[in-house]
Amino acid sequence: MQCHGSKETLAAPSKDGPIVLVGNPNVGKSVLFGLLTRRYVTVSNYPGTTVEVARGAASVDGLREVVIDTPGVNNLLAPGECERVTRDILMHERPSVVVLVADAKNLSRALVLAAQLGEMEVPFVLALNMSDEAQERGIDIDTGLLSDILGVEVVSMVATRGEGLDDLARALAGPPRLSRFTATYDEAIEQAVEQVVTLLPAGTRAPRSVAVMLLTNRKGAAALEGVPEEVAERAAAIRRDLRARYRQPLGYVVNHQRLDAVRRVVASVYSRRQTARESLASILGRLAIHPIAGVPIVLAVLYLVYKFVGEFGAGTLVGFMEGTVFGRYINPWAADAVAWVPVGIVRDFLVGEYGLVTVALTYGFAIILPIVSTFFLVFSLLEDSGYLPRLAVMVNRPFKAMGLNGKAVLPMILGLGCDTMATMTTRILDTRKERLQVTLLLALAVPCSAQLGVILGMMGGLGPRVTLIWVGVLVGTLFAVGYLASRVLPGRGSDFIQELPPLRLPRLSNVVLKTLARLEWYLKEVLPLFIAGTAFLFTLDRLGALSRIERLMSPLVESWLGLPSQATGMLIMGFLRRDYGAAGLFDLSRDGLLDPLQSLVSLVVITLFVPCIANFFMIVKEFSLKTALAVAGFIFPFAFLVGGVLSLTVRALNVGL
Amino acid sequence: MKCALCGHEFDADDVRCSPACPLAGGCPVVCCPRCGYQTLDESRSVLVRLARKAGAVAKRVAGAREEVS
Repeated sequence: MQCHGSKETLAAPSKDGPIVLVGNPNVGKSVLFGLLTRRYVTVSNYPGTTVEVARGAASVDGLREVVIDTPGVNNLLAPGECERVTRDILMHERPSVVVLVADAKNLSRALVLAAQLGEMEVPFVLALNMSDEAQERGIDIDTGLLSDILGVEVVSMVATRGEGLDDLARALAGPPRLSRFTATYDEAIEQAVEQVVTLLPAGTRAPRSVAVMLLTNRKGAAALEGVPEEVAERAAAIRRDLRARYRQPLGYVVNHQRLDAVRRVVASVYSRRQTARESLASILGRLAIHPIAGVPIVLAVLYLVYKFVGEFGAGTLVGFMEGTVFGRYINPWAADAVAWVPVGIVRDFLVGEYGLVTVALTYGFAIILPIVSTFFLVFSLLEDSGYLPRLAVMVNRPFKAMGLNGKAVLPMILGLGCDTMATMTTRILDTRKERLQVTLLLALAVPCSAQLGVILGMMGGLGPRVTLIWVGVLVGTLFAVGYLASRVLPGRGSDFIQELPPLRLPRLSNVVLKTLARLEWYLKEVLPLFIAGTAFLFTLDRLGALSRIERLMSPLVESWLGLPSQATGMLIMGFLRRDYGAAGLFDLSRDGLLDPLQSLVSLVVITLFVPCIANFFMIVKEFSLKTALAVAGFIFPFAFLVGGVLSLTVRALNVGL
Repeated sequence: MKCALCGHEFDADDVRCSPACPLAGGCPVVCCPRCGYQTLDESRSVLVRLARKAGAVAKRVAGAREEVS
């Protein structure tokens, strides 16, 4: 085997070279490898990596051939370790032929690799595995036409049953064929590719592939040590000029255009039969986006989320964590543990009114963690079941009715995950004015996932009437501001959902892994901010500034909103992270310091409150400090205005909560 | 990876979290380049790696037990 660090450029296919299996993840490559090689297999890490590569021997047309199974990849030119290993094997092992293993149900993913193999001038045979499952789903693939378009042999297979193995062996025994299918990119990219190709040394094999890689994957291209340094530098200059033309990263633009070429091929060879009986999942999937039938499904899902997060997460789990784990064990233990500390201020900083353990860790672990855990679990279930895109389709309709154009709706939906990141996605909007409008709406009225979780938790203890009023105030605000936005945002339909995945039973492992990843991300991000926020409040309290701020805010917080003075500290926390502020209000509510009306008003104010510090800095980055201050300057009085008007209205109408 | 919202397939390496974000350092969030939906790159999560390792060990133990029996 040639070392991947050799000074060789792309090696030409060798008649005596190995057969290399390439394909996307989970397409049955390893099953096919097992069929071809039986028991003559060695598995070892690819040199310099942790990626395992299996090698074995197979008998093809009476000749003993080496077969190599590569890791599953979706893009041969991407910078990941698996992709690098696969690329290195293709470049340096001089394969006689590649078997591109495809999932027949998802041909487009494999054809992306086919287009790249074509560019790399590597001969291959396309094995359409899982053909039986494709047939069951009513998918027909015209393999003859596909073979004509690609210019290579195409074989249908069911590897798990050994079906099609003889056809594959016959195709492998024939002369290796190079594919004629490669993607054509837009004019600017094609010109850049041509420029780079002319820079490459004479005799460079597959120059187009090398050029595309130099333009899209600098690090990967650096591994092609046959490319002289001065060529790489000049290619980098071409790449910089080209990159300036696109909003998205160049790698993404190239992949996207390659995918367009693939879609055209798929459209010409793919056909779907009406299967004899529509599955229950398919019927449910269709109903879930129906303008009328979809509504009760949305309501039922939201109700279940509310019950699970609001009652189980915020009630049962928070009660256990706060009352038992922290109340009975951690806080008393921490108080005992720091009792020997001679300096009072240090003791207070750890276990005092604004103490590290008693506030930051208690809020972080005892209140927010159980709530966001249940929320993230539900969110992962929605994602993995395929319902989330359907929910987005349903939510898209009322948002459009509010007067927001299709493109503007998208960041609003994304804001339910994280407003900070959603602010960044406003880049998809065409004008600065549009971006500013949507950024304002996001900062104003769209609670992020963590805040929404805590709010749902608090609602769980307040009953449906408070929840309905809170939803009504938010939707009313969105309608009012959305209407204003529509006066300056000319509408255009959105087609942001590319494909609706089939509705299915979520896989437990996927849901658990997604939830774990989210929790880890949340804890890493949130705890340092909670600690910083608590330290800030502790400092304000020690300097006597907190009571001065409370007195200063008293006309607003106590007289206008009708909240107790302690709520001021929670609103200050809300600027650091809105979920932190919401957790503080949750704590006050549970301690009986807020009645239902005060809870409702405080929830509305904290939802509409100024953007959290991360979102504020994102607005500074995306626009300017002046804009961020202007957004905060509008939202701050607006949140208090709405909260105060709500408080007065509920009192005047004598609405029982 | 595949976007859970719009179904678009993309490489997480192409669309790492924006360096403009003040919390970008070590951030595992990737945004779908088509619709902007935020997904977590599970390969960056320590908890996920540990869970996967635990799952693999459990499988091996179960396999070894089957072989013994």
